[in-house]
Amino acid sequence: MTSSTKEIEQLIGKEYDKGFVTNLEADTFLPGLNEEVIAALSAKKNEPPFMLEWRLKAYRHWLTMTPPEWAFVNFKPIDYQQISYYSAPKQSEKLKSLDEVDPELLDTYKKLGIPLEEQERLSGVAVDAVFDSVSVATTFKGKLKEVGVIFCPISEAIQEYPELVKQYLGSVVPQEDNFYAALNSAVFTDGSFVYIPKGVRCPMELSTYFRINAANTGQFERTLIIADESSHVSYLEGCTAPMRDENQLHAAVVELVILDNAQIKYSTVQNWYPGDKDGKGGIYNFVTKRADCRGVNSKVSWTQVETGSAITWKYPSCVLTGDNSVGEFYSVALTNNYQQADTGTKMIHVGKNTRSTIISKGISAGKAQNSYRGLVKVLKSAENARNYTQCDSLLVGDQCGAHTFPYIEVKQPSANVEHEATTSKISEDQLFFCQQRGLSPEDAVSLIVNGFCKEVFKELPMEFAVEAQALLGISLEGSVG
Amino acid sequence: MASAVSSLEKYLEEYDEIKSTLPGQGLDWLVQLRQQGLDQFSTQGFPTTRDEDWRYTNVTPFIKKSFQSVLAKPSTTVLPEQMDHYYVPDCWQVVIVDGHFSNTLSKLDGLPEEVVVMALSDALIKCPDKVKSYLGQAVENEDHGFIHYNTAWFSEGLFVWIPQQVKMKQPLQLVHVVTQENVATATRNLIVAEAGAEGVVIESYFGSQAQAYLTSSISEVFVAENAHLTLYKLQNEASKALHCSGVYSQQEKHSTFNYLDFSFGGLIARNELHVNVGFAAACDLNGLFVGSGRQHFDNHTWINHLQPRGSSRELFKGILDGRARGVFQGCVKVFEDAQKIDSEMHNHNLLLSDNAEIDTKPQLVIYADDVKCAHGVTVGQLDDASVFYLQSRAVSEEEAKNMLTFAFANEMVDQIKVSSFKSYILALLLQKFPQGGIEQEWL
Repeated sequence: MTSSTKEIEQLIGKEYDKGFVTNLEADTFLPGLNEEVIAALSAKKNEPPFMLEWRLKAYRHWLTMTPPEWAFVNFKPIDYQQISYYSAPKQSEKLKSLDEVDPELLDTYKKLGIPLEEQERLSGVAVDAVFDSVSVATTFKGKLKEVGVIFCPISEAIQEYPELVKQYLGSVVPQEDNFYAALNSAVFTDGSFVYIPKGVRCPMELSTYFRINAANTGQFERTLIIADESSHVSYLEGCTAPMRDENQLHAAVVELVILDNAQIKYSTVQNWYPGDKDGKGGIYNFVTKRADCRGVNSKVSWTQVETGSAITWKYPSCVLTGDNSVGEFYSVALTNNYQQADTGTKMIHVGKNTRSTIISKGISAGKAQNSYRGLVKVLKSAENARNYTQCDSLLVGDQCGAHTFPYIEVKQPSANVEHEATTSKISEDQLFFCQQRGLSPEDAVSLIVNGFCKEVFKELPMEFAVEAQALLGISLEGSVG
Repeated sequence: MASAVSSLEKYLEEYDEIKSTLPGQGLDWLVQLRQQGLDQFSTQGFPTTRDEDWRYTNVTPFIKKSFQSVLAKPSTTVLPEQMDHYYVPDCWQVVIVDGHFSNTLSKLDGLPEEVVVMALSDALIKCPDKVKSYLGQAVENEDHGFIHYNTAWFSEGLFVWIPQQVKMKQPLQLVHVVTQENVATATRNLIVAEAGAEGVVIESYFGSQAQAYLTSSISEVFVAENAHLTLYKLQNEASKALHCSGVYSQQEKHSTFNYLDFSFGGLIARNELHVNVGFAAACDLNGLFVGSGRQHFDNHTWINHLQPRGSSRELFKGILDGRARGVFQGCVKVFEDAQKIDSEMHNHNLLLSDNAEIDTKPQLVIYADDVKCAHGVTVGQLDDASVFYLQSRAVSEEEAKNMLTFAFANEMVDQIKVSSFKSYILALLLQKFPQGGIEQEWL
């Protein structure tokens, strides 16, 4: 037992391998936030006037708000005047193709395992890469345009498709929604914009990689995906950041709009820098993600693998407005050392015959705190709504915590709601069984944990599933008690 | 907001008038304790929906009515025959009417001499030191307006002390009755089972007809090493009453505490049940709430596993008809180094009408790794296939639904180990099916 614990600890002790810094000349605002900064930012982005107004409205409302304190996380209050709200790798002209992108930048993405140009050729995944505050490259644009799919940085969409942006931006997550969403609405710099036209099944998977590079910056990205009637898209998101001793803020907003008979599958592998083993540094990941299933028979599926960030505050939600719409949430959240995660989902059943499934797997190791917080709300109009929730926690080590805070509110008698939760440690019997068959302790642990998360991993697209499993192995190695 | 403040002021003004009539005058420690309660109450007031633990239960409009605290002496006399239907057969009875102990109505014949059962006001005179070592101990870490209110205002209560190794032969029933309209009663019960003792206590709350009043009741329960205590609670208040009660239990090692709650009455009823489980101690907490009309039931349970090897089981069932609303909030907290905990929590709810609502919030807060903790919640309605099956056997639809609903509830009634109390509850439960069709014969 003790020997296996030791090996596991070594495994856990493996360092964050995405923690390098790229030396790029950057165009960065001085820290501080006020209306001028927002105006400057809007001007920098060449935005039409309606966006500036939209941002200022959010900012003025944000000033009246206080940060939420109900989450099960501890951190020193953030000084929002110490953050720089814009940082971009310096480039002279707008780039025409990938060849013109700073080679050092491309190198960075290569190190991260996202060779943009190769990916374009080989894997058939269209990639939008966001570096600090701006989107640096989007691949496969041409091919996507042929079928009418718009996949571009949101800053570009604001200029080129203002009507679409005007109609949908903030319609799922309003500017006043919550403290971090309001801040994001005021200062968001870039992100991805996707529009899938009627009846189109997006021919390839779309993907965005987020990277925070500059120090003392916050990253505020905004993603808006619209799936028009009878369309389908699968979208992937990955994130990394360099190792720094100070904490950095990442407050993103993701809005998904799903119309009649459309489907969106949204997968995230979040691997922001989690801080060192003493809890120093790391990203504060305060994200608002929400999908609005507006149309009948629409479907949204959130899959997330959360292994990074010092603090995660994230509740991808589904508003099931359309009749027969379906919401799914599959999550693996792993915390180690001093990481804290308060994550879960909200399922709001509005339409008839709406269905939702929640599968949440929390793994807590070291001195970490891992909480599941979820809401299942069935409104009076949601006849025959159906929900199944399962949230399991695995504890690795005796100094960590695993917590479950589900809220279930049912106002419709024909609804069927089920909730199950368990918390336990890795069974010694299972470990023994594996070891007895010749597996090393860490292989046994990895096998059992992967089995524990299997229900979620099988929802991930192929490439991500492999990455997620490897990530889990790295983050967890050495942690079974 | 302004009105809430003014209603709080009314309560505070009134306190000055009744202060001198409350029991325990001249006991410095108690005067101090009450003052602390009052200070906290005057700063906090009653809880509002802005408090996380009260988010589903809004007592503010009700509290605004500012009920009158009952005065030192009962203003009406209750005849023993009026009480008959409150008594559970084969039990010793202690009766509190309108917040005051009634000696004539209580029945304690044959109670073993070594067992102490008396009104709290008597105990404060006869054995104040003993009371001092328990009063307020189990609610020390609790913090909301109703608790502070109760500490400052309590006028009476039940004091039970079962000495070491004594096993009570029959249950003790606390009969709490309110006969007046628009009154507020506050009672504090202390139930102590010393090492190796065994006992069964039934707390029962009644009111007459359709009166509005406030019942605030707190029971502090102490179960010492190897002691076994069972507490049944029946809440059958009048239809417009606000019932706000709490059971706060401290369990020492190898003890067991069984709790079974039946909530039938009242307009708004809030039950708190907080248990600290000691080393290798076990607790079993169960409840049934059956609501109709505009009734509102809020069950708030909290289990602290402070020591290793404890176990806890919890099952609450709700049946909601009409515009009734049910709330279940349960938390199991396992502290650091409390290893080998085995805990299970379940909440099952049946919604019978279009306007019924249930809000449920089961929580796990775990700081130890070698534990087995689980919770499960279901919300649903009667199974159509089962109803159809019965109908195909020539049972009318209404009767079939009643049978299935009754069966759902009966699982909880079956857990009662005192046969006289079981038949008593069964009779009350059957009254909840006024449409008929529930025939005693198939029970």
